[in-house]
Amino acid sequence: MSDTEESQGAPPHVASEFFLWLWYQSETGQGRVELGSDAGTVEYWVDDRISFRAVGEEKVSAIMTGDNPSLTPEAHAALAGGKVIRDVRLALRKEDREYSVTLKAPRIEIAGAKLPALVKSGDEGEVLYERMFLYEELHFILGGLFRAFATARCDEAWRERTLPDLRRWVAAGPASGAGLDAGEEAS
Amino acid sequence: MGVLKGGLSVRRYRAETPPEGFRDTYINALEENQFREPLTEVHKEQRVGWTQVHNLLDTSFLDTNKWLYNQYAVFGLRIDKKVLPAKLFQAHLQKRCEGWCQANGRERCPSKVKGELKEALELEMLLKTLPRVAVYEVAWNLNEGWVIFHNQSEVPNDTFRKLFHRTFGMVLIPHDPLDFVADRLDYIDELVGSGASDLRMEAS
Repeated sequence: MSDTEESQGAPPHVASEFFLWLWYQSETGQGRVELGSDAGTVEYWVDDRISFRAVGEEKVSAIMTGDNPSLTPEAHAALAGGKVIRDVRLALRKEDREYSVTLKAPRIEIAGAKLPALVKSGDEGEVLYERMFLYEELHFILGGLFRAFATARCDEAWRERTLPDLRRWVAAGPASGAGLDAGEEAS
Repeated sequence: MGVLKGGLSVRRYRAETPPEGFRDTYINALEENQFREPLTEVHKEQRVGWTQVHNLLDTSFLDTNKWLYNQYAVFGLRIDKKVLPAKLFQAHLQKRCEGWCQANGRERCPSKVKGELKEALELEMLLKTLPRVAVYEVAWNLNEGWVIFHNQSEVPNDTFRKLFHRTFGMVLIPHDPLDFVADRLDYIDELVGSGASDLRMEAS
């Protein structure tokens, strides 16, 4: 098997910036994405874990766990100190289905995913079909979130408005919503 | 933990869709690459092969009801390796060398003798040692061409990809975040080319 059959893939900063954008969006009250006309809406928020790494390194250098880790001064201090997000645990809700999942950089891999159990009992096939459906839905949701991020990240407004907002938000500390003018939405 | 119950921690791959009449071909391929116990108990090299997900001792794939659920093929990768406890091995070897020196009235154990003692001890201890056994679940959506492997470490994933290739003749391509925007080359260029955003406040 040759490695040349694979593309280079996304550079490490892509996943970290995606996680940061999710965090920023959820903390500034916009943790909600339309997945398309048929697919509905998904709400998301940072659950109970964020870990950070130094730029250029793979090892975790700081972890925040417990209730609302994203609202701690330590989490913002890690960003302000130049660290980037290595993994983040998200809660996601689509209709009445709630997922909890850790996303790991750089591949944005699904780890420790808790799927909503709809079938309480049943034969093995039934359980498998349900879990595969839920896994696929989770993958689909992540795709929708990443597309929303990519749209924002590749827009001219990223440099002109979103990035300065992000900087102010990082510098201002938790739950500040800093940088957003009243009624204005981050792009 | 895995495909049928518990938390899900997976690496996702893209695979080709199977050829016409794949059932018989894949039954044979899985049978050929099923996990097989080593012929001797002193086998210390790693052994790999496919098992059913229900029980790692079930390695037959002749009954498709046990592993093929409509569009999903579900099976396990078993990896066995016998590993001797290094400190205990060294301690025993030292004792044996000391014993040899005492029996032969020598101060030092020649390296050739030490090598023979080491080999004999290794065989002896391998006979008494059970292998370290790991099983990782695999779910393959044959219609949509994706595979999930229930582990995210590089070594088991490499082993999995090699055995998958040997079994089905397919190269698995790991999922990449950019696959989510595969239809937007402009996004891919920008995400890859623009570099990391600098979050530090600019001096005003």
